[in-house]
Amino acid sequence: MSEFLMYLTNGIVIGVINAISAIGVSLIVGIMKVVNFAHGELYIFAGYFSYHLSVSLGVPPLLAMPLSIFFIFLIGIGMERTLIRPTYGDEMYSLIITFVLSIVLQNAALLIFGPYPQKPPNLVTGAMNIFGLYHYGNQRILSFFISIGVLLSIFYLIKRTWFGKSIRAISQDREMAALVGVDHLKVNMLAFGLGAALAGAAGVILSPIFPVTPSGSSSISLNAFIVVVLGGMGSLKGCVVGGLILGILENLGAAYISTMYRHIFGFIILILVLVFRPWGLFGQKTQ
Amino acid sequence: MDNKKLWISFAFIILALFPPLFLSQYWLHVMIISLFYVMMASSWNLIAGFTGQVSFAHAAFSGVGAYTSGMLTVYLGLPPWLGILIGMGVAALLGFGLGYLCIRMGGIYLSLTTLGFSEILRIIITNEDQWTRGTMGLQVPGFFVEYSKTSYYYLFLIVTILLLIVIYKIIHSEMGLTFRAVLNDEVAASSSGINTVRVRVLAFAISSAMAGLAGGFYGHYLMLITPDVPSLGQMFLVLAMAVIGGMGSFAGPIVGSFVLEILSEYIRIYGEYHVLLFGLIALAMARFAPEGVVGILGKKWRREWA
Amino acid sequence: MIIEGKGLTKSFGGLTAVKKVDFHLNKGEIVGLIGPNGAGKTTLFNLVSGVYHPEEGTLSFNGMEITSLKSFEICRLGIARTFQIVRPFLKMSCLENVLIGIIGRGDQREGRKAKGEEARKLLKFVGLEGHEKNSANNLTLIEKKRLEVARALATQPRLLLLDEVLAGLNPSEILQALELIEVIRTQLKMTLFWIEHVMGAIMKASDRIIVLDQGEKIKEGRPEEVVNDSKVIEAYLGESDA
Repeated sequence: MSEFLMYLTNGIVIGVINAISAIGVSLIVGIMKVVNFAHGELYIFAGYFSYHLSVSLGVPPLLAMPLSIFFIFLIGIGMERTLIRPTYGDEMYSLIITFVLSIVLQNAALLIFGPYPQKPPNLVTGAMNIFGLYHYGNQRILSFFISIGVLLSIFYLIKRTWFGKSIRAISQDREMAALVGVDHLKVNMLAFGLGAALAGAAGVILSPIFPVTPSGSSSISLNAFIVVVLGGMGSLKGCVVGGLILGILENLGAAYISTMYRHIFGFIILILVLVFRPWGLFGQKTQ
Repeated sequence: MDNKKLWISFAFIILALFPPLFLSQYWLHVMIISLFYVMMASSWNLIAGFTGQVSFAHAAFSGVGAYTSGMLTVYLGLPPWLGILIGMGVAALLGFGLGYLCIRMGGIYLSLTTLGFSEILRIIITNEDQWTRGTMGLQVPGFFVEYSKTSYYYLFLIVTILLLIVIYKIIHSEMGLTFRAVLNDEVAASSSGINTVRVRVLAFAISSAMAGLAGGFYGHYLMLITPDVPSLGQMFLVLAMAVIGGMGSFAGPIVGSFVLEILSEYIRIYGEYHVLLFGLIALAMARFAPEGVVGILGKKWRREWA
Repeated sequence: MIIEGKGLTKSFGGLTAVKKVDFHLNKGEIVGLIGPNGAGKTTLFNLVSGVYHPEEGTLSFNGMEITSLKSFEICRLGIARTFQIVRPFLKMSCLENVLIGIIGRGDQREGRKAKGEEARKLLKFVGLEGHEKNSANNLTLIEKKRLEVARALATQPRLLLLDEVLAGLNPSEILQALELIEVIRTQLKMTLFWIEHVMGAIMKASDRIIVLDQGEKIKEGRPEEVVNDSKVIEAYLGESDA
């Protein structure tokens, strides 16, 4: 029983990090109708930045983490300005461009960082006794709370600030938003940067637990996409619920059914969603 | 087909008959690989360039063809030509299923799902190594009893030409016209009586079958099938060849395949940089010159002859 | 009655674009659909042509229920349309554009040559003779509109929906367009349902007018009745205040 609870906890911890990652994708899809295939690569770049800043350059991890996220934010903005902006409205080209970008970044990561997994240092060590049922790593517990903090900040940003409102306005009707004075080009750029930063945040939070490698980027992207489809495109709530569902199912599945096929559970979820409820849990049913 | 193009094609086909006479075994191999990519890039162009659906499962379908045929020949002793046909059938079925699954929700979902399919296939192949021999590779019998690069060259040449003829006929048929209508404006096409769902699923199934066919032959040429065949890396190469050569045109993928494959052989001398280089070129092309190399040359010629 | 809609309702998110609208057209009629911006006119057209499906209400065409049919099925039954922002297939030639309409009929009996001939005749009918191989991209606005009409006619409709077909045209082009519409109506005996903001034209040409405002039908009747109706005037005046 305690084993089951431990797997469940794993699922929840991974789940909220999945949610952060998925929101990164959902934001960009919602506002620009662009799927950022390079999402997973941004995640691992963040992990590698975090590692190299702390280990190779001696930056304290508490600083290295936000710094890495900031670098990814800048990279995201750069991507938007140079590559994505000209493809607005052309769905096909944005898919091709972000896919090619993901391959380019994957190879760049291989050349720059090498093929070996790297793990940034833990912020805390040791384990805690959860309700006397099982021991659980402190780093994971901390990651959980950091993630909750990030999610709350995102919700606040989207629901309360002018920036968040602009994003929601543009997602619904770009022309109207422009008419009421929203600088939609600037919001696009910042939103893309934010989406990238969230990928980076997920990477920075999870990499002390699961080391990053260049070849792992595709499954990270895929997981984020599955959560977005499951939760429903354009729904933040959906990302959280979807992320938790995926995290829990994947962990339980890997523990009790098959470890090798842990990623298949996500794909099965994707297929089931497409067959029975393609617009996701909280998505809008369009024609 | 107008006469000028017919004569040019004939000329190319005649020229293509000669390489085994003067090329080394190594370069003959490069030509055979290029022909494989011509099949892949041209069939991918059929859905991406002509119906606007970006599939990332194309390499995966070639893997389906290769592994199906490979396993049937190794474990059941079927002759390669039969294995390849069955492999093509399996790929067509999966393509039909995948296409139908995603059709209700639009292009983005198709791209996501094909990406997922590609990843999952790779995982299954790597894990089920008692059947597929995983990363070590599945050894399969060749298409010919006696190995001869020249024989393989002509085999690939014939299959590629036949495939290109089929693609050409599709593009210039009514079906091809409906593909382009769906590409241009799906709502307008639907309001004009075109069953756009059927068009898109059909295009997807046909191109997946072609990838399966190409993969089947590829497997029996290499005689060793690895998870690299259905990988996203291979997918990227196919995409780059179509994009750089010129999507939406008939000659584009052909030109792109030969150019990139030959180029990658030269670059490989310095290291595995060809992916990075092609990626950057593909990005530049997609951004600035979507008609590709063929489009740019075409514009230049038209200006000079106008 | 050739087409009848009862209680049609369609919302998007929180906004109800069309609210319990009833309408009908009789064979051979030309009915105008007017209303201030955002009244739901194009949405109604989208419901009729199957681009959207209504949440409530039914549609029947020639006695057949078409509410849940897909747009290509509705086209094959005999309803064709043009779009508010003209959308021919830009990367295809004029001939190919019209061919799509012919192919869309799903008729396997006609040979390729016959289809090409028919397409050429249609292009001539709308005044685009000589433009067969021209890419739709290169046409002027009125030529694009003619092309869209040709493509719609190629599907051999019995009901044609025209969505603001006069928008963006100068006065002489408007006269040409009205002539074409008249020819379509008399020679092809077409039933026409059209949305228009050029009041003079639609009032003169229509047998009957339906007025929508904020998703609801507020008036229906002969042009003379509608023009003097106080609710209609208020709907339009209210708009110009905003």
